[in-house]
Amino acid sequence: MRAVPLARHNLFQDRRRAALSVSGLAVALLLVLVLNGIFAGAIRQVTAYLRNAPADVVISQRGVRTMHMSASALPGDALRAARRVRGVAGADAIRYTSATLHGREGSQLAYVIGYDVRTDRGGPWNLVSGHTPRTGEIVVDEVAADNLGVRIGGPVEVLGRQFTVAGISRGGTSITNTTAFLPTADFAAIRGPALSYVLVRAERGTSPRVLAARLERQIPGVTVQTKEEFVHEEGSIVRDMSADLMQIMSFIAFLIALAVIALTLFTATLAKLREYAVVKALGASAWRLGRTVVAQAVWSVGLALVLAVVLAFLVGAALAAFTPNVRVAIEPSSVTRTALAAVAAGAVGALVPLRRVIRLDPATAFKR
Amino acid sequence: MHRRVPVARRNLLADGRSLVAGVLGVGLALMLVLLLDGLWQGVQRQATAYPDRVGADLFVTQPGIRDFLGETSSIPRSTVQTVRDTRGVDWADPVRGQFVVFDLHTKKVAAYVIGSEPGGRGGPWAMADGRRPRRDDEIVVDRALAQRHGLGIGDRLGIGGSTLRIVGLADASAPMTGFVFMAHATADELFRTPDTTSFVLVGTDRPLVVRGRLERQGLSVLSADEVAANDRRLYTDIFGSPLKVMVTVAFVTGALVVALSVYASVIARRREYGIIKAIGASGWTIAGMVVRQTLALSVIGLGVGAVLFLGARALLASLRPQFSVVLTTSGLVRALAAAILMGLIASVVPVRRVAAADPATVYRGT
Repeated sequence: MRAVPLARHNLFQDRRRAALSVSGLAVALLLVLVLNGIFAGAIRQVTAYLRNAPADVVISQRGVRTMHMSASALPGDALRAARRVRGVAGADAIRYTSATLHGREGSQLAYVIGYDVRTDRGGPWNLVSGHTPRTGEIVVDEVAADNLGVRIGGPVEVLGRQFTVAGISRGGTSITNTTAFLPTADFAAIRGPALSYVLVRAERGTSPRVLAARLERQIPGVTVQTKEEFVHEEGSIVRDMSADLMQIMSFIAFLIALAVIALTLFTATLAKLREYAVVKALGASAWRLGRTVVAQAVWSVGLALVLAVVLAFLVGAALAAFTPNVRVAIEPSSVTRTALAAVAAGAVGALVPLRRVIRLDPATAFKR
Repeated sequence: MHRRVPVARRNLLADGRSLVAGVLGVGLALMLVLLLDGLWQGVQRQATAYPDRVGADLFVTQPGIRDFLGETSSIPRSTVQTVRDTRGVDWADPVRGQFVVFDLHTKKVAAYVIGSEPGGRGGPWAMADGRRPRRDDEIVVDRALAQRHGLGIGDRLGIGGSTLRIVGLADASAPMTGFVFMAHATADELFRTPDTTSFVLVGTDRPLVVRGRLERQGLSVLSADEVAANDRRLYTDIFGSPLKVMVTVAFVTGALVVALSVYASVIARRREYGIIKAIGASGWTIAGMVVRQTLALSVIGLGVGAVLFLGARALLASLRPQFSVVLTTSGLVRALAAAILMGLIASVVPVRRVAAADPATVYRGT
């Protein structure tokens, strides 16, 4: 004997209604996925410089654990002191501040990094055209170059001085800002001699964690973290700042999903009440009918989730095309969390129709 | 006597539970539209709070710096005296401004530090509780930041390697972050930037004339309105695109919920629509009934959305005070337009279904 897939039949008999309900549920889930994706993308973008920096350990001003929204000024001899510590293969200092780049066609907030152009360490990690900047020159990210309307050889004003674009880099623009690189001497001429961070490379066989502890013991007035720790701290800023907003949006999206699924299951059950009564009159238990309603919820949620993920990727691609500084990263953990919330919404939404079906009188089948 | 039958209204009210689910769905979507709009208005107001409220007419900045919150300005401290010595300047005070990130309850908290001279201008413009900082280890935090993190007067905060004591709560809030006010000297020590300041605030009765005089001395000067406009643009550039995406998704959600709700109602009453068609009603008449039903659902949804919005705003104000949600007339008009547009778009599928209905349906069993 072959079982009749009652749940699927009931749900998909009217394709237009099925499409509306699955779409409604999907866009409610899309809301959470896209917002999650924007923040996940922002975390990846914000940490891009450090993830690609030639460092195992990062030294900053005492109490400063991040670059984003931060300022760090190291003691004058921190670089020399770091180079003397056992286990250090090399150390390079960078200067850093936030400023706006002004071009012919616009302006963009930037993290401006002054680095030693002779060693070429701590500068752009993905120079796609042009060359390392010389005195009076700057490297800007390709997204910023488009926004500013500049090319190699063009002028960019930053910190009140005009620079010539020497090179274009890639991957340094986030939702909040871009990254620009100057020779460290030019930076110091504008903002003074203080160093912001020291990027330390560990000797082969030296653990970054051990080296970080040793550096912190031997250099006064600094905080030392491994690169992984620094990247984690940097990501935490976005994560912690966005957590409240994410909770609010997720809760609203959950309620909308709940309303959609309740509406879908309730109307689908009501429309087929007579058929349910017939099945009950033929001997099906109340729980068998209950399972049908739950199966409908599972089908709706499953299809909506697949559609939401596909739509999230499409929205991400559209955003990347129109606003290249916004990246949407759809991560498996985000999909899992959204799926769990959708299942919860489905379970709650199924309660009213479930109650109706379980209490259904088989005699209804014989009414006209 | 000829009396019209309110079919759209009867259909809408026929099934209470479906109506509640539909209205709630639409209401939630419209609440989201209103909330996003309100959050956006709030962010814009918060972004310009400092130049709007601090009472300065002009800001002297580092050349090339055009906003208050986004960039780090640094000018020699001697600039303050140059400005004070300029004819027409009523008062001039230095202010240090810099974002800072510190750890609180194992979370990262971002705040904008404002360092000003004790007794001078540029510090907290309105106090909610306590007093302004007088000593180097004293700070004032904004009330929203304090409320969000359970901070009070007398508590200590570790910022950039220094431990500072809260002596007052300011009646202010910064967008998604917070303000921390301290003495200029404390900020100099914190950021290791002696002999410099970020901005010189200027008070004058003749801002245009004084600006010209300052610029002739080689200083870079912005009016408070320009600083506010640039700060607003900064936040628009950052949050504009994601916000538009969220509003669009909320709008589509609402339209689909209306469509689903009315479509289900149309299907449940397809026999009645067949009767109406069989007794001579035109396709346009029936389409009009469905459109009225979708519009009514959208407008009721807007009412519910507005109530939910007010509740959500009150809840946010007490639980997440860092978010300022501002309801404006233009925001309400946009939500009403969204509700009407939702209703019209949502009517497409049910109208097509009804238009395709065969009058012979009347003679079939249900």
